[in-house]
Amino acid sequence: MQLPVLNDAPAHAAEKKGGCSASSCGTTDNQMDSLPDSIREKVQNHPCYSEDAHHYFARMHVAVAPACNIQCHYCNRKYDCANESRPGVVSELLTPDQAVKKTMAVAANIPQMTVLGIAGPGDPLANPERTFETFRRLSEEAPDIKLCVSTNGLALPDAVEELSKHNIDHVTITINCVDPDVGAKIYPWIFWKNKRIKGKKGAKILIEQQQKGLEMLIAKGILVKVNSVMIPGVNDQHLAEVSKVVKSKGAFLHNVMPLIAEAEHGTFYGVMGQRGPTPDELQDLQDSCSGDMNMMRHCRQCRADAVGMLGEDRGDEFTLDKIEDMEIDYQAAMEKRAVIHQAIQAEMDSKRLEKAEKAQQHKQEPKLSTRPVLMAVATSGQGVINMHFGHAKEFLIYEASPDGVRFISHRKADQYCAGDTSCGDGESVLQVTVRTLAGCEAVLCSKVGYEPWEMLEAAGIMPNGEHAMEPIEEAVMAVYKEMAAAGKLDSTPEAVRASA
Amino acid sequence: MAVKIIESCVNCFACEPVCPSKAIYEAKPHFLVDPKKCTECEGDFPDFQCASICPIEGAILNSLGEAINPPGSLTGIPPEKMAEAMAELQSH
Ligand code: SF4
Ligand code: SF4
Ligand code: SF4
Repeated sequence: MQLPVLNDAPAHAAEKKGGCSASSCGTTDNQMDSLPDSIREKVQNHPCYSEDAHHYFARMHVAVAPACNIQCHYCNRKYDCANESRPGVVSELLTPDQAVKKTMAVAANIPQMTVLGIAGPGDPLANPERTFETFRRLSEEAPDIKLCVSTNGLALPDAVEELSKHNIDHVTITINCVDPDVGAKIYPWIFWKNKRIKGKKGAKILIEQQQKGLEMLIAKGILVKVNSVMIPGVNDQHLAEVSKVVKSKGAFLHNVMPLIAEAEHGTFYGVMGQRGPTPDELQDLQDSCSGDMNMMRHCRQCRADAVGMLGEDRGDEFTLDKIEDMEIDYQAAMEKRAVIHQAIQAEMDSKRLEKAEKAQQHKQEPKLSTRPVLMAVATSGQGVINMHFGHAKEFLIYEASPDGVRFISHRKADQYCAGDTSCGDGESVLQVTVRTLAGCEAVLCSKVGYEPWEMLEAAGIMPNGEHAMEPIEEAVMAVYKEMAAAGKLDSTPEAVRASA
Repeated sequence: MAVKIIESCVNCFACEPVCPSKAIYEAKPHFLVDPKKCTECEGDFPDFQCASICPIEGAILNSLGEAINPPGSLTGIPPEKMAEAMAELQSH
């Protein structure tokens, strides 16, 4: 089956730098609108792709693949593959047998878990035996779990045939460049045909393999998502080209992640002082590429190691010795899961309807001409504001504008470093959290304590606990309208951004 | 004649499957080379396979006890730059 190419002839798309196009904005889930039916069906309940589904469903990763066949300058190889995980995370390495057990234990206890990924700690396809053994068994023993895999692409062409035999729902390829000169600045070497090949020559082979693998997967009808790491001064200018190339070959999503480089990780970029992008730079790039291609904004890069729903991590309940003792009747679990999935589906459908109605209403109202505003939201799922500021481990960032509300990104409370060097040093957790929210003008949560309230205000971020348990988009719009009515939105966004 | 894996090995498993002589095995605290089995890849490949995929500088030594991948050769980080960064971190 040949997958249709998205936005097939967007002759006007290139002009659409930033901002919203009329068709893809408003309070509807703009990702889904432009997808063809066959793909929409595959992704509509997908926690990785569908913006609303990721409030209801969860995914998990198992670390079965330790080896890697290339070197990336943002990876130190002591931690998990930085392409898919949060830097600095070390996962417990599992055998395929342990991974199957753990997956089934989590699936039986957290019915919302619907997608299992193998993403490391090295490159899954550089460990074909372990990776495919895990997939083979899960396809047989837990057929209601979707499988996914991410790869640097070097060994992909040789793996496509085998991948197509399992319950593989999608493949993620990390493609940072299509030009070997750029590649030489990102990949110091690859291991290829029994030799270590350095520099541009190695990068060229890697790029060819990635593109060939992408084409082969599309030809087999397997969904392909492309990840890119944005490295300021190295590939930031180049990623629009990458977007264009992978789109024309049929990848259905392109996800740009920020480089996170710290000297203490001992990576090339960390030690050499290469900075990561600021939240604004990242968003600008995502905006400039979205005219080119469907961009995934709810990437959960920072959650690859977490088990459970948004904002929570239940990994501790499923350590090796604990799953060893669990007796799982997967047949029974599968029946229970099916019932719960149906209920979630019904709830999601009704919420989607409500949302569409609200969007319709919004269109009838007189249009504001105020500037867009970023707001942070604390939630633990279900699409409502239901988390205490102090408990939030990550925030969802939304943009409100006269066109509606759109989801922008996740920001991990303890992780985001805006590219300067002041991270970590003697700052309180609270200070770091407040800094995480740079650029936002309001934060919506169920409650805020006194101390954070003052700090947020001082940082120019308005704390708001008045919309607890309300649907996120509605609450964000309500706050936006209040701000507009209070005349807070008359300054230009440039001025605010510059001071953020 | 044999190569040797030392304690800087991070147990990434990469070398084990590429050895033509099945000389590398998982051990605690790190992978080891069986000196009786290691052929230094003679007759199979021109380069030591283990040292051609190993990502960690200095983790594998040749029969003279020298690092096959000396500091800076894989990461491209000049050794003095690395020392500087580490000293900087330690001073905190
Ligand atoms: S592909 Fe992943 S594990 Fe391999 S070097 Fe790159 S970031 Fe590290
Ligand atoms: S040098 Fe060759 S034979 Fe010896 S351990 Fe390494 S890969 Fe095996
Ligand atoms: S490739 Fe190097 S770091 Fe990895 S297990 Fe072998 S010796 Fe250790």
